[in-house]
Amino acid sequence: MKRLLGVALGVLTAIGGFLDIGDLVTNAVVGSRFGLSLAWVVVVGVVGICLFAQMSGRVAAVSGRATFEIIRERLGPRAAGANLAASFLINVLTLTAEVGGIALALQLASSVEPRLWVPVAALAVWFVLWRVKFSIMENVTGLVGLTLVVFAVALFKLGPDWGDLAQQAMTLAPTSTETWPTYWYYAIALFGAAMTPYEVFFFSSGAVEEKWTAKDVGQSRLNVLIGFPFGGVLSIAIAACAAVVFLPQAIEVDSLSQIVLPVALAGGKLALAVVIVGIVAATFGAALETSLSSGYTLAQFLGWSWGKFRRPTQAARFHLTMIVALLIGVAILMTSVDPVKVTEFSVVFSAIALPLTYLPILVVANDPEYMGKHVNGRATNALAMVYLVIILVASLAAIPLMIATGAGS
Amino acid sequence: MILSDLLDTPVTDADGTRVGYVIDVRFVLDGPPDGLLAAPRLHGLLVSPRTGTSFLGYERSGVRSPAFLARWFAWRHRGTFLVHWTDVASVADGRVDLAADHRRWSPTLTGSTTER
Amino acid sequence: MTYAQDPPQAGRVLDARLHLLDRQLLDVDDVPITTIDDLEVLGTDGDPDPSGGHAVLTSLLTGPVLGTRLFGGRPPSSRLERIRWSHVADVGTAVRLGIHGEELDATWVERWVRDHIIGRIPGGRHDPE
Repeated sequence: MKRLLGVALGVLTAIGGFLDIGDLVTNAVVGSRFGLSLAWVVVVGVVGICLFAQMSGRVAAVSGRATFEIIRERLGPRAAGANLAASFLINVLTLTAEVGGIALALQLASSVEPRLWVPVAALAVWFVLWRVKFSIMENVTGLVGLTLVVFAVALFKLGPDWGDLAQQAMTLAPTSTETWPTYWYYAIALFGAAMTPYEVFFFSSGAVEEKWTAKDVGQSRLNVLIGFPFGGVLSIAIAACAAVVFLPQAIEVDSLSQIVLPVALAGGKLALAVVIVGIVAATFGAALETSLSSGYTLAQFLGWSWGKFRRPTQAARFHLTMIVALLIGVAILMTSVDPVKVTEFSVVFSAIALPLTYLPILVVANDPEYMGKHVNGRATNALAMVYLVIILVASLAAIPLMIATGAGS
Repeated sequence: MILSDLLDTPVTDADGTRVGYVIDVRFVLDGPPDGLLAAPRLHGLLVSPRTGTSFLGYERSGVRSPAFLARWFAWRHRGTFLVHWTDVASVADGRVDLAADHRRWSPTLTGSTTER
Repeated sequence: MTYAQDPPQAGRVLDARLHLLDRQLLDVDDVPITTIDDLEVLGTDGDPDPSGGHAVLTSLLTGPVLGTRLFGGRPPSSRLERIRWSHVADVGTAVRLGIHGEELDATWVERWVRDHIIGRIPGGRHDPE
C-alpha cells in the first residue's frame, strides 16, 4: 500500500494529462473516427512525457529548483514571459474545462443542471487547495481516479474482434472517410495532450512539495514509469471502446454521455456508476493540477513564496493567483460555453509553451552546477534530442493544421 | 547604473567599427568586504559579435552535452571575447566604446565559478 | 580565433546573466523573496566611469524594474526596489540572504496581500490538514 501511495504524484499528474475532460472527449472522438490508427501517437507521447517529466523531476529533486524557476533563469524574462503567458492561458482554459467537466459528470449522476453544479465544484476545488495537505490530496484523487480502469475492463467485456483492433492499430493512415490533414491534426492534438507542459510544472513542483532530494531520484523514476504508461493505456482503452461501439455505425462522439455509453453497454448500471465516480475524480484531479500549476508558474516566474506545504498566509500571492484563476473559470462557465470546446485552443498555446519548457529543462539536466553527478546520461540525451526534433516539428505544424482542418471538424 | 543599461548594447572599437554586443557582465568577488561576502567588482564585459542575447550560457560554462546543442551554441557565439572594464573608454547613450589599445581575452569561465 | 586566457582572479568569478540575473532569491529560512530582476552597479561616486576604474555591484533589484527588461524604458532611480548586496550570504543555483525576508522593504506586496486578503479568509493562518 505504501508503495502504491508512493507513486500517487505520478498517477495524479498522468490523470491530469491524459484523462482530463478534454482528453476523455478527444480520445473517444479519435476512436469513433479513426479507430486505433492513432494509437501509436499515444505510445510516442507516453515515452516523451516519461523522458520530459523524469528530467524535470530529477532537476527538482537534486537542485530543489522547480521547472518555471529554471525556465526564467535560462531563457530570461522575455522568452520565459511568452512561455508564462501561453502556459497560464492553457492552465486557466483547462481549469475552466475541468470545473465544467465535474459539473457535467455530476449532471449525469443527478440530472441537475450543470450550471448549478459549477459553483459547488469550484468551491470544492478551492477548499482542497486551501486546507488539504498535498499528500492527502494526491493520494485520494490518485486512488479514486484508478477506477477509470473500468474502461479497460469494459473493452474486454465488449468482446471485440482483437484481430481487427490490432489491424487498425497497425494501419498508420486515416479511415476512408477522413483526410490526411485531419489525421495529422488529431495526431498532434494527442501528442500535445500527452506532453502538456502543466504536467511537468505540477510534477516538478510536487517533487518540491514532497521535499524530494537526490536520494529520491529513484522514487521519481518509479512515479514516471508507472503513472504515465497507466494514463496512456487508459487513453487507448477509451479510444478502443469508442472504436468498437461507434466506428462501425459511423457515429461521431461529441458528448460525455456518449463516452460512458460503451461502459454502460458492457457492465450495466454498476459499471456506469463506477465510471462516473472515476470521471469526477479525474476531472477533479485535473482541476487541482491546473489550478496549482497556474499558481506555481506565476509564483516561480516572479520568485514569490509558493507551495501547499506552507500556510496560505505564508504564500499569499500564490493562493491569491489560484483564487483568481478559479473565479475566471467560473465566470467563463457562467456564459454557458461548452467546457470541452474551451480546451481546443490549448493546442495552439501548447505549441508555444512546449518547446520553451522542454529546452531549458534539457539544458539544465546536463548542467553539473545544478545536477552534480546526476546529469543526463548519453542514452537519455540521444532520446531527448530525438524528442526535441519531434516537439519542434509538432509545434510548427500545430497552428497551420488547426487552421487548415478547422480544428479537426 | 543598472545592468540593463549595459546588456545587449552595441560595442564599438576606437575607430567606431561595431565589434558586437554586450552579452554578459563579469564580476569578481574581490572588492572590499560588504556584509557577508566581498563586494563584486565589475571586472569586464563579454562581447559577442553575433547576437544580442546570451543563449543559455552554454558557450562559457563548460557544459558539453547534449553534444549537438553545445556545438550549436558554441558556433552561434564563436568569436565572443572578454574585455576588461579598464579597457572600456566610455559608456553612453546606449553604446559602449572600447579603448584604442584594449585587449581581448578568452570568455571561458575558470574553475573558481563552480565552487558552492 | 582564440584569445589568451584571462589571468586567474583572487575571488570567485560571477557572470551576471549566467549566475545572478533571473535566479531565485531565498531568505535565511529558504523562503522565496523574489526573482532577481536586475542589478545596480555603482562607482565611487554615482554611475561607474570606466576611466575611474573601480565599480562594484551594490544592490539586487526587483519590482517595477522587471517591466524595463520586458518592454524597455527605464524607471527613475528613486523607484528602484533594492536589496543590498551586504545581505547576500551565498550564490548557488539560488541566491541566499543572511536575513529574514520580513525585514526587507521589497517584500511589501506579499505582506499587503497576506494582511488584507489571504489572512482574512478563515483557515488561512493554519497549516493544511
